[in-house]
Amino acid sequence: MNESQVSVPLQVRLRFGHAAVQRVATAAGVDLLHIKGAAVTPALRPEGYLGSDVDVLVRPDHVDAIDAALREHGWTLYSTFEHGSPFGHAQTYVHDAWGYIDIHRWFPGIRLRPDQAFELFWGDRHAYEIAGVACQVPSDPAQAVILVLNAARSAKGARVDVITVWQEAEPDRRVEIARLVEHLHADVAFAAAAGGLERFRHDREYRLWKVVSDGGSRSAEWWARIRSAPTTWAGVRIALRAPLVNVDHLAHRLGRTPTPLDISVEFVRRPFAAVFEGVKGAGRRLRPRRVVR
Amino acid sequence: MGGYRPTDATGVVEHEDVLYAATLPDGPILVLDGIAGLIWEVACEPSDDSVVDRVAELTGAEPGDIRAEVERFLDDLVRRGLLRPIAG
Repeated sequence: MNESQVSVPLQVRLRFGHAAVQRVATAAGVDLLHIKGAAVTPALRPEGYLGSDVDVLVRPDHVDAIDAALREHGWTLYSTFEHGSPFGHAQTYVHDAWGYIDIHRWFPGIRLRPDQAFELFWGDRHAYEIAGVACQVPSDPAQAVILVLNAARSAKGARVDVITVWQEAEPDRRVEIARLVEHLHADVAFAAAAGGLERFRHDREYRLWKVVSDGGSRSAEWWARIRSAPTTWAGVRIALRAPLVNVDHLAHRLGRTPTPLDISVEFVRRPFAAVFEGVKGAGRRLRPRRVVR
Repeated sequence: MGGYRPTDATGVVEHEDVLYAATLPDGPILVLDGIAGLIWEVACEPSDDSVVDRVAELTGAEPGDIRAEVERFLDDLVRRGLLRPIAG
């Protein structure tokens, strides 16, 4: 019997990760749904790609509870909602045995209120066994919507999902998916991946999804986010966040907790980086090593 | 010695002919490769014969030669909370 002396394949870790998180959630009375990766119905991902982490969508009111429960069982916070991604939708934890998990409090592209969107998914959930544990997953049409919305942020990377779950779907399934997209108010982001985004060129989120799905510089993405904000105050808040130093990513880049001097240096460095981006376009992106999707 | 079954805390994954078992949700993951995986599978199959006898039959070994090692291995899995003996 070997313990920790041999590497465990990522596919194995991911399956155990889903199972472990389900056990934690059940014990803590937390409602969550496993999305993407190893939790996807095999028919929707025939090539069997499992991704690189565990993703779950948590009932928004239960985010604090799952945060406490995960920490109690050995997960440590890797990046926060505020700094994990430009959307602020997910928070990442890492565990010695299971690797990374992204806790989603909402899913980018869905404009229905997060608690209502979760309830919509939760109402049609079913159990999918992973590593012997009954993990709660959304319905197959809901999984398809999530995969397409995820592809919209992947800059051509995950477009194979769009082909499998949307373009090649049976007519009845496409009707189910389209109806769900409508209920979720996710039409703009869905179109960014599935096609037809130009139909929404007058929508306030059009530019954001155009930039995100086509790929663009960070500054272009921030401008698009500011313009897509539903209120003036939300836009201002985004604008104020843009130049802030992402302390989580800086810590991982440095391999230690940043000192006040590190943060100051980074704060000065970033605007220059943004100018450089403006000159060079999308050729070079200052991305963290691991990006929340 | 009778049979065993995974405990409620046990998760099992089979990947490329290797068994992996873990105590959930805290870990660790154990790699049950080769003979270790065989013993796990035999132990979890219902049978009136002892695990040692069945492993001996499958491997062509003498029960007396492998008894100590097999029982030590099973005791370890029980101690780790991965398996529990079936009563009776």
